[in-house]
Amino acid sequence: MEEKSKKIIIVIPAYNEEKIIQNVIMEIKSAGYENLVVVDDGSTDQTQKIAQKTGIKTFRHKINRGKGAATKTGIEAAKLLGADVIVTIDGDGQHDPQDIRNLTQPILAGNCDVVLGSRLRNPQGMPWYKIIQNKIGNIFTWYLFGLWVTDSQSGFRAYSRRAAEVINTHGDRYEYDSEVLREIYIYKLKFKEVPIQVRYTEYSMGKTEKQGFLNGVKTVYKMVWKLIH
Amino acid sequence: MKIYVYQVIVSAVALAMISQGVKNYVRGKSGQTLLKLGTRIVVWGGMMLIAIFPQATNILAGLIGLQGNINAVILSGFLLIFLMIFKLLSAIERLEQNISELTRKESLKDLDK
Repeated sequence: MEEKSKKIIIVIPAYNEEKIIQNVIMEIKSAGYENLVVVDDGSTDQTQKIAQKTGIKTFRHKINRGKGAATKTGIEAAKLLGADVIVTIDGDGQHDPQDIRNLTQPILAGNCDVVLGSRLRNPQGMPWYKIIQNKIGNIFTWYLFGLWVTDSQSGFRAYSRRAAEVINTHGDRYEYDSEVLREIYIYKLKFKEVPIQVRYTEYSMGKTEKQGFLNGVKTVYKMVWKLIH
Repeated sequence: MKIYVYQVIVSAVALAMISQGVKNYVRGKSGQTLLKLGTRIVVWGGMMLIAIFPQATNILAGLIGLQGNINAVILSGFLLIFLMIFKLLSAIERLEQNISELTRKESLKDLDK
């Protein structure tokens, strides 16, 4: 009942996802969510055109600025479109839209400002090296930004309108996810972690832009750099 | 205590960087946090400490086996390069953020109307 009266907008940052973006959009729509925003982060393929054909709102970065920048653009767009709750979900199909309800429920109930989807609360099917990478990321995030969570790099999150207004990040790449946690800590936003399903497919694992070991090192470097400069 | 030119220069640069950080923090400049300020003070304060009390590095120098006057030259060169890289990276970071902001505004221009 509450869900019907509140405007929930799903933000999908996407970069070169032409093979899967339509499926991702249709799956989210099938889960009962009609307000979708796709941010094409300067893709060199047909991602935006394919997304547009599904009838949803799309925005395009003329040049690639990174997942964090695209997510922030999507959140800004959702705010301008009058969202009460904003959900961010990856564009590669690794997240299950059926989990959106679990993410939005605590916010709709007024118990939380931010809900973080956690792969580590339900690590079935998650490769062991991803688990280790994630735990290392969690330790760095906790040490540098002061907030301990079980999945600091998850892109599947929900924000209340208030949280979306307050959170102000500057990270353009994968450090964005950790910066959100810093903002939660600074502004003492109420947050909760809920387990999410992750579908590691050949497609999602094969993309070079994903958070691999080298990107992980770059992310840590960016996080440290933002603290000292 | 005899004061050398490089000690004055390093201390001046370190003080300038620390005071800039304090100013940014007090004025509540975007992205400034207490942790960031603390890190800045530790990094630049540490350099100033080594410049003013170079004997403090004797323990480290002994440990790694490097001793002698040449250390002062190497340290000065290192500090200069460090300062340049630091400023350069700061400028790049600012530019990157400006580019992202411009890209964002451009992509949302239809919604803003």
